[in-house]
Order: sequence, then structure tokens, then C-alpha cells
Amino acid sequence: MPLVDVRVPNIGDFDNVPVVEIQVKPGDEVKPDDPLITLESDKAAMDVPSPQRGKVSEILVSIGDKVSEGSAIIRLDVSGDDSKSEPKSGNGKSHEARDETPSQPAKAIPPEPVSSPPAEAEDRSLPAPDFGLVHASPSVRRIARELGIDLTKLTGTGEKGRITKDDVKRQIARSEPGGGAQTGIPEIPAQDFAKYGPVETKPMSRLKKLTGPNLHRSWLNVPHVTNADEADITDLEDYRKGLDETAKAKGYRVTLVAFLLKSAVSALKEYPDVNSSLAPTKDALILKRYYNIGVAVDTPDGLVVPVIRDVDRKGILELSQELTSVSARMRDGKITPTDIQGSTFSISSLGGIGGTTFTPIVNAPEVAILGAMRSKMQPVWDGSAFQPRLMLPLCLSYDHRVVDGALAARFLRKICGALADVRQLVL
Amino acid sequence: MSTEQNRDLESSLEKSDREAEHTCDVVVIGAGPGGYSAAFRAADLGAKTILVDRWPVLGGVCLNIGCIPSKALLHTAFIIDATRNMTKQGVAFAEPQIDLGKLAAHKDAVVKKLTSGLASMAKTRNVTTIQGTGVFADPHLLRVTFDEGRETIVRFEKAVVASGSEPATLPFMPSDPRIVDSTGALELHQIPKKMLVIGGGIIGLEMVTVYSTLGARIDVVEVLDGLMPGADRDLVGVWQKVNARRFDRVMLKTKVVAAEAKGDGIHVTFEGENAPSEPQPYDMVLVAVGRKPNGKLIGADAAGISVDQRGFVLVDKQMRTNVPHIFAVGDIVGEPMLAHKAVHEGHVAAENAAGKSSYFDARQIPSVAYTDPEIAWTGVTEGEAKSRGVAYRKAVFPWAASGRAIANGRDEGFTKLLFDGETHRIIGGGIVGLEAGNLISEVCLAIEMGADAMDIGKTIHPHPTLSESIGMAAEVFEGICTDLPPQKRS
Repeated sequence: MPLVDVRVPNIGDFDNVPVVEIQVKPGDEVKPDDPLITLESDKAAMDVPSPQRGKVSEILVSIGDKVSEGSAIIRLDVSGDDSKSEPKSGNGKSHEARDETPSQPAKAIPPEPVSSPPAEAEDRSLPAPDFGLVHASPSVRRIARELGIDLTKLTGTGEKGRITKDDVKRQIARSEPGGGAQTGIPEIPAQDFAKYGPVETKPMSRLKKLTGPNLHRSWLNVPHVTNADEADITDLEDYRKGLDETAKAKGYRVTLVAFLLKSAVSALKEYPDVNSSLAPTKDALILKRYYNIGVAVDTPDGLVVPVIRDVDRKGILELSQELTSVSARMRDGKITPTDIQGSTFSISSLGGIGGTTFTPIVNAPEVAILGAMRSKMQPVWDGSAFQPRLMLPLCLSYDHRVVDGALAARFLRKICGALADVRQLVL
Repeated sequence: MSTEQNRDLESSLEKSDREAEHTCDVVVIGAGPGGYSAAFRAADLGAKTILVDRWPVLGGVCLNIGCIPSKALLHTAFIIDATRNMTKQGVAFAEPQIDLGKLAAHKDAVVKKLTSGLASMAKTRNVTTIQGTGVFADPHLLRVTFDEGRETIVRFEKAVVASGSEPATLPFMPSDPRIVDSTGALELHQIPKKMLVIGGGIIGLEMVTVYSTLGARIDVVEVLDGLMPGADRDLVGVWQKVNARRFDRVMLKTKVVAAEAKGDGIHVTFEGENAPSEPQPYDMVLVAVGRKPNGKLIGADAAGISVDQRGFVLVDKQMRTNVPHIFAVGDIVGEPMLAHKAVHEGHVAAENAAGKSSYFDARQIPSVAYTDPEIAWTGVTEGEAKSRGVAYRKAVFPWAASGRAIANGRDEGFTKLLFDGETHRIIGGGIVGLEAGNLISEVCLAIEMGADAMDIGKTIHPHPTLSESIGMAAEVFEGICTDLPPQKRS
């Protein structure tokens, strides 16, 4: 029977990424894009999709194994897979179909005897530390397990070296990623909240656990300043609504975000310092000649920032289609590594929810992030009378080492100008 | 994704939705102590939970045909024996009139009270119960077959396998109502004149206590060189001395090789060191040669679950099988096959299924033989400590020095504690005597808390009690006990 090895596709700059989940087992039928295994990088968990239709013949990795691009992960029996296997190229809407589903050309290999999977079953799990000889009571062992603290590495401060709950809490404060002791920032003392009323420990989603340290790192490293401004989008809204009506029939939506992307590019082109990163030596700016913009998407598991590539080369309709499909993919948890890499600037829009202003955290090593709030009809003085205008509050958080207040104000003005007069966007 | 693929995906989703009559977050297979504990804990953590069991009542072997009914009978036997022992204290009772039917009905009422309690707790928690045999159809579907051959499909996110074990059988035993396993023995259909118990483990010896007190003469045959394998010999020795009167023959290092059902009894042929030369006739034969896990009956392959050759499901410390969303607990994951172990494992599995991080980190699992006297032990046994070369030191408090034991007229027992030679932390303990099963709990807590001998000795125990013997054994270890003749100064 024809067997092919599925290999880890290009997963960006990651090497030796651990396998955290195996989603198939021998005998499973899979279709193109069905998730096979899940890898976890420092930024996100990502599924490796099946490149083609077939039946899982063998699983070549175990949970905890570290893999890199090209590592063989699954052996697929593709004997039943001929005409039906090639996904039709779709109707032009879905440009994520072939090219962006990173797949290694399937390589046929002769069937060969391999080690039997059952033998691997036992060492499949990550070894959990054995608390057998630790001097800690059952309640302390339990809390340590909940918080992932290895008690064998702790020195107890209790009587006769007993590890107490306080010891565990101190350890948590110390091991907080990017926090506490390492940066010399005083820790927030652990508290026993249960003393004051009923509490519940709810584990954070994997996504939140991964993004938290990144946000913390940015917050600690970047001297943040946030400017606010307002854009008059009265005319833009008329235009957008018209486009959206047409788009709806075709299965996507035209939202303000597409216009924010385009206006951001026009401002980034005029002020290239904002489309840059600080060199690691901190004595130079690395200006980027491409315009990849991250768009924060709210998902059930937490925040994901997929990157819309080459925004400067895409039109409003194309961007709208891409945003619709990418957001859906993010909400379904189908995140591939290329989705979240390589952005030069970010946008976070809370317009769908509400609010008047906020201070987003710069997605370092980018140097600025644009925040958009909910637009509101307001009286605007046109020199002779108040006119009802639809005003969009915008804010820009920026790295003050790279961007100063005047540049930020000009940058925001440029965006507001472009939004107020959509004609500028085609220039 | 192309439209064609979309269609494929939709149709496959529709199909599995149509097939599955029930969907849930957590399905638990088996409603014994491990299973119902997992199901209830999962429900308490907010999971939509389905509990599947082949029996119409919850509780599994433990409540229905194990721990609980046997204790109803053992308590009765204990009272009968206690009244007989009163004679030497000057109180003579007439021989009891035993209404076997009424005794069995009492036992059934005990079981019913507990199982109906479980059913109402399941209801309060909104745990759906399905009666039928659950077998995996794939990693997310469980096929539940009812008695009439009808079936239903349960679609689940997470599963906990708690399918337990069943009595091991001897292939050469003929089929005859006089040959029973523990379930049959608990039914109490008759009191034989002459009874053979095959297997000298806890289950067999508990039944010996019941049947011999009710009038049967007992032979016991055991392949190994001692009764109650696993327990320290000194503990078993005390029990054996008190119970010698119950037995005609104790055949150690001997096995049954053949049995023939005849009109006048079951004729059993033995082989081994203590085998009688002729086949022996018995009115009743109890086969109690251990229990075997049900791992081969759950459709493990369809879900991809690894099961070893004996039928145990392999799990890690989180009770997780090799299939990350499927857990297993209780008898089916390994020895000791004890309800209290299963309950704790069930909680661990349920918590992990609910996304918490929970581990089975128990340091000790107590064992109790509810014989008379009872034998209970936990942590490291002396036998284990010796064979593993653990640097231990022991302390024994003989009940002959316990005021309460003497007042009870039952001072044959003793309390033994094992300590780490260096840290003096308690690592194990064994007790033989009245109520040993209740007494051992303090040792369990002391081990889990990492108490040392002085902690236990300096804890004031009430006087006069049997529990005092634990504090005193710890004092013996520290050389500060004044209820025994002076110890040599170390």
C-alpha cells in the first residue's frame, strides 16, 4: 500500500518544538487540513494539518518529543486517495487553500517493519516528578500539582524541613515568567483568599498562559506612551455600508478594520520610523520595507494576533475577505505558526464592544499599536454651526524610545485624515 | 477549505451527531466506588456527566456483592462469636437460632439502602445513568448495549474507565450450584457441613469467618506458603492462632488440580506439600483465587487504549491512559484492588478531565482483613522493608499491656509501627486485634503528614482505648513508654 510520511512543515523560526497533543491514532481516516498533532511554541499552540486524504498507518512521535521542520510525524496510507484527494482550488475566495497550508511534498517510502507502538505507550507522557519522599502534607502536594510546582526542588521552611503552603506560594511568585525576582521588581505577596470567602482556582487557557509572559515582557521593556485622537468617519461609513451590502451576499463582511489597515499603511509609509524595530544594540532603528499588520482577534481561549501580510498591496475587498476567513480560523483554534509571525505594526479594535479610549500594550519588538474604539455621532463645529458627525476615537500606544509625542500625533492625524477622506487611500 | 471538503466535514459531523443519542462532557464506565466518585466529582466541577453500568443499581461490586454485604454478614458472625465468648466471663447465652433467609434479607436491605442513596445523589447532581454494557466504538463514541441487545451511542469529550474486575476462575471446576465465587457465597443459600475455600486471601478468609461461625467446618487450600499473602507474618500469626478452631485442614503450598461433582458432594483432588492423598468431598466449595481486571472487555482497541496482557489499563499518575482524553481508575488499573484507592483515583481522573491538574500522590493505601480479629496495615510492610532493604526500625506495643484490650477480653493483638531509621518519620504500620481496620486510619494520616515517632508519642490519646496502642508504640520507639517494663537505654 502507498505510504507517505507527513513531516513538520515550515513552522517559522521555531526549532525543537514539543509535541503537546496527538489528535489521531492509527486507523483514523483523515482529510486534507484535518489536524494531526499539536505543537507548542513560545507564542502559541499550533496544529499540523494533514496535507492530504488518507488513513493513519502509524504515529512516529510521542507527546513530549521535540520536532523541527522536516521531522516525520505520521505515516499515512494514501491507497484510497486518488481523484478525490486533490482539494479543488475553490472559487477564489479561499486563498489559504494550497499555498498557505504548509506541506512538504509527500514522499513515498516502502513499508518497513518498525517498533511496535504499544511499547512506546508507557513513556509517552512527560515524566511527572515523584513526590514520594517529599516532606509535604497531602494538601500541599495537591496545591503543588495544581500550580505545576516540583516539590522535589523545594526546600521546606516548616518544622523539620516540612514544605508548607507558604513555601509553594513563594515558589510560584519566584517562578512567574519574566516577573518578580529576575527583574528586581518586588513581588506581590501571596495571599490566602479562601480566608475571606469561597474561592475557585481556574486554570488559565493554554493561549492565555502563552501570551501572558509576552505581554508582561513588552510592558516591562517598552516605555509606553498613549496618544488619542478622533477621526470623522461619517462619509466612510456610508461608503463602507454600501460595500458591505454587496459583500454580505458573497459571504464576507466589510468592516472598519479593513479601512484601519489601509489608513495605517498610508501613515506608516509617511512615517517609516513607526514601521520599525529598535536594534538589539539599541543604537539603530531597523526600518521594514513591508507592511504586515497584526490584528487582535478575540477568541474563546484568549487573544490571538494573526498577521495580515502585505497590506499595502491589497485592496479593501481583498482585505475584508481575508479578515473574515482568518478570524473564523482563529476562533476555531486553527492557528498555524505563519499566521502569527512577522508583523510590523498591530491594530486592536474594540469598536464592536464599546468604550471611549484605552491604552493597548505595544506588541514588541514592534514600536506602536493602534487602538480603535466605538464610533459615536457627535456635534462638530464646522466654523459656523454644529454638524452631526460620526466620530471614531483612536489611540496609539508607542515605544517612546523610538517614537516621540509629536511623531505620534502626526501619525494619528494622518490616519484620521485618511479615514475622513477615503479618496486618500487610493493615492 | 474547498466546498467539497466542507460538505464532507458537515456530513461526517451530521452522521456522528445522528448516531449519538447522548452527548456529554464526561462519560464514566462503571458505577463502582471509582466510577461513581469520578462521575460525581466531574458533575460537581460542572461537567455534563453520564454514568454507564451494566447493573440496574449503582455501587458496583463493592456495594452490591463485595465490601458492604460481606460486612453485614461479618458483623453478625462477630456478635455470635462474642456471645459465645461471654461464657468465660460468666454470661451464657443459648445457642442462636439462625434464620438464614432473614439474615440474607437484612444484608440485602443494607445494600439497598446504600445503592438507593447513591441513585438519589446521582439525581441531585444531574448525573445521567444508563444501564448497559459500555464498549468503545472509537475515541469519542461509546456503544452501550442493553440486555435485549438494543444499543445506544454516547458521544463524549472525556471518558473515565472504571470497569473494575471480576473473580478469577479455575477452568477445570465443574458447573454446580455448590461451587461458588464470592458473589455466590454472599447469597447465603445454605450452610454446608463441610466447606472448602480455595485461596487463602482476604476474601476467602472473611467468608471462612461467616460460614464457620454459622456452623461449617472449613478446609482452606493456598498455593503460597502462608495465609493472607501480603500481610506481615507476625500479624497473620495472631489471627491464625485465634482462628485455628475454624479449620480442619490448612493446606499451604498446595493446589487444587481436579474437582468432580457427585451426589454426596464435590470431590476435590489436591496436589502439593500438604495435599491429602485421597480426593476430599465437600458440601460447598468457594473459589476465591483472586480477581482479574476487565480491561479486555471495554473495546480498548477501538479507542486506541493500551491494555497489558493481564487486562490492566496502563495509566500515568494523572490516571490518564495513552489516549490523552481517556482516563482509567480502580481495579482495572492495577493492584491493590480496593474501593478506597479507586475513589481517590476517581477524583483525580475527574479533576483532570475537568481541566484541572491533579495527581495520584498517595503515600499509602491501607489494607484491611475484616476477619476476627481484624488485620490492618498500611505504608511499608515489614516484609517489604526487608526485601527492599529499607533502613527501618520498628516498635511494637502488645495489647497484653492495653487496659482496654484486657477489659474487652481480647488482648491477643498488637500494634506495630515502622519508622525511618534516620528521620524517625513513620513509614508503615500494622495492627492485629479488634477494630484494627478503624485504628489504622491514624497511621494513614501520620504517614501522609510525615509525622515522626515523637509527634505520635506526644499526641495525647484517650485512655482507655485501643487507639492508645498507636501512641504507645511510638513511645516504645522513643524509649519513653511507661506502660511496659523498662526498655534498655539506647
